[in-house]
Amino acid sequence: SESGQPSLLLTCLHICPLPGVGCSSVQQKIYVQLNKTFPCVRLLNATHQIGCQSSVSGDTGVLHVLETETDLDWVLSSGPNPPYVVLMVAEHFNRSTMMKLKGSARVAGVAVVISKAGPAQGFSPHHSCPNQNSGVYSDSYGPELAGCNVTVWNPLGNSLSYEDFRFPIFSLHEGEEADVIRKCFLDHNRGVNGSDPAYPLCAMQLASHMYAVKDTATCMRRNDIQSRFSISPEFVCDALADYNVWSSLKPLNNSGKGHLDGESVVIAATRLDSRSFFWNEAPGGESAVGGFVTLLAAAQALRAVVEDHPPSQNILFTFFQGETFDYIGSSRMVYDMENGKFVIDLDNIHSLVEIGQVALHRNGQLWLHSDPVSRRNSSVRSESTALNLSLSVAEPDVSQPLPPSSFQRFLRARPIPGVVLTDHMSAFSNRYYESLYDDAEYLNVSYPSGLSPEEQLEYVTDTAKTLAEVATLVARSLYKQAGGLDDHLSSINADPKIVTQMLYGFLVQSNNSWFRSLVSPDIVKNLGDPVKMPTWLVQYVLANFTGTLRNLTQTQCKNPEDLEGESKDLYSYFWVQGPVPPNSTQGEGYCVRAPVRLVKAHSPAFELHQYSSRDYSTWTESRWKQIQARIFLVASRDLEMLTLGVGVAVLLVSLVVTYFINSKADLLFSSSRETTSTAY
Amino acid sequence: MNLERVPNEEKLNLCRKYYLGGFAFLPFLWLVNVVWFFREAFVKPPYTEQQHIKTYVKRSALGLLLWVAALTTWITIFQHFRAQWGEVADYLSFTIPLGIP
Repeated sequence: SESGQPSLLLTCLHICPLPGVGCSSVQQKIYVQLNKTFPCVRLLNATHQIGCQSSVSGDTGVLHVLETETDLDWVLSSGPNPPYVVLMVAEHFNRSTMMKLKGSARVAGVAVVISKAGPAQGFSPHHSCPNQNSGVYSDSYGPELAGCNVTVWNPLGNSLSYEDFRFPIFSLHEGEEADVIRKCFLDHNRGVNGSDPAYPLCAMQLASHMYAVKDTATCMRRNDIQSRFSISPEFVCDALADYNVWSSLKPLNNSGKGHLDGESVVIAATRLDSRSFFWNEAPGGESAVGGFVTLLAAAQALRAVVEDHPPSQNILFTFFQGETFDYIGSSRMVYDMENGKFVIDLDNIHSLVEIGQVALHRNGQLWLHSDPVSRRNSSVRSESTALNLSLSVAEPDVSQPLPPSSFQRFLRARPIPGVVLTDHMSAFSNRYYESLYDDAEYLNVSYPSGLSPEEQLEYVTDTAKTLAEVATLVARSLYKQAGGLDDHLSSINADPKIVTQMLYGFLVQSNNSWFRSLVSPDIVKNLGDPVKMPTWLVQYVLANFTGTLRNLTQTQCKNPEDLEGESKDLYSYFWVQGPVPPNSTQGEGYCVRAPVRLVKAHSPAFELHQYSSRDYSTWTESRWKQIQARIFLVASRDLEMLTLGVGVAVLLVSLVVTYFINSKADLLFSSSRETTSTAY
Repeated sequence: MNLERVPNEEKLNLCRKYYLGGFAFLPFLWLVNVVWFFREAFVKPPYTEQQHIKTYVKRSALGLLLWVAALTTWITIFQHFRAQWGEVADYLSFTIPLGIP
């Protein structure tokens, strides 16, 4: 990536050493690089390609700022200098405007300026019926419930993320770069007194050339051809893959796969991932973070009873990754269970409790969704455990289907009893589902001004208190569901302090002292900003909550097989940094033993090489070489042609002159002295 | 090589070698044959071997023409239909362009 370059429009005193040595000063005078931008990239599945594409060296267009309807007309029909790159604020980033721009040949790209708070009426670029073809409801199972016939889960969804744009779309945040662009536009691109603007004009170039096309089958075939017949293979796409995190209350022997005799397990599931329209930006506050923070806190709360009064059944905590894209993680786990590649089998599952979106509940009201088609009487009875908490739990209408959830993939394989806990009765309460605005501010995770980062870490927000109550409810319900006795329920309590620390770490700043003490010393440098890939971080947090300290050295911690009382089959061993003492920079380092494991969350479609599968997720992401955005001034076409013409004319004239001089050379260059002829 | 200093017999030999070589799926040899020996075959004053050289040059030209026609047709068809042919076209291609179907 290019290093930061000073703007040419702000006065800069950057003095380059001798031109041509060290830095390219002419380039710095022409181009202003935009550094803090995020592109929209291309994703493919079995049948479609979605996202954006640019030409190889980028798409250039004259900059135009979209503020009113007349601006849109200017871009689409009346402007005299097409193609245009449209700069818009987030209010205009809606379906109608984008569809009009998509259909026009005069648009070379779009740059969206994202403000801190989202549009007041809500914005969701996802589908209005998420994962409708990969859930359990289909023509053969509850057909009247399929396709959101009964409930539209995401009514604000405009499916923008799933459109295929043939021009690049980048996002910028409000700040210095957006101001520079606007100033460039105001200085150069506005005509005087209503006339057309004169050249030179301010232009923007957006480059995000994607390698993959058409669909997953095509790009996997091209990958295959490259790997087999090319000397230096250049892949065009990658399957979306990561890891699921799972842990159990009582340790399970990881070396034994398939059906585990006598084991009956309650699964507590949630999802880890989210997305937005743009690449690598997915705060996912309500859609993901609220849910997994609740389950992590519940796992920590259950620790109080696991030693002395363990429940009769085991509890399996699973955190699925990739659920946004047709349930990658959960479909893989179900596939592994069906084929005996996981520690337990589908027959070992007693029931399932899933934590959906729980952070925005109104008046303490939570809802338990279950599947009307396979409803069993022995569902989770958690109404009684809601006593002594300020939460009330109700069940929605009997004919309402399950919301989009990982539980649906389990139901596809086996009619397991289960519920999904959410804060919405029918449609989502989340008005920014799978968008950039689903962040800390939307969840009301805000801190009084004047607090230092360490103080912010410790400050218990109201959101943390309510989520801690939800976590207590979940923990108690799980305990009861797994056969625990009622007398011990009151000792299961989630700690709001832990919840607020997790919310701060996952939503605001992950490079904080608590997270640093939980992870291993060589991973500490990966922390920073709201973390984009929380899988390994959730693994360490879960290890801290469900694990125990062992008195081992670092080398012993890596290989504990031969030591007494340690078993790599039952536990994983992590070397973590530990809290940093006040007068040093690094923690001592401790060995933590926890029954936490990672399993691959890679869609079975890629294992089975069924790239056009309708049963499993087939999502892949394209590869690319260069992503950049920059602005500069462009001259008119006439001036360019004139310069070229003059150059060609000079070339021809010089050829003619050279020919004539060559043919009359002896006449022109005859010297007065005698020419000495030397024999050769 | 300067044909001026080569005896006529050797010229005929060369022309024949290039003509025969072109049958090994090497139309460029025929192109070289035509261009190199054109002056020898048609412009120079006649000599004994010229008749043979003329035949070889004419046949090389014919072969070259056929090859150009065949290749142009195939290239046009392939470039036009490559995107539509999908899998077959991918296995036929040496380099597949990135980012377009």
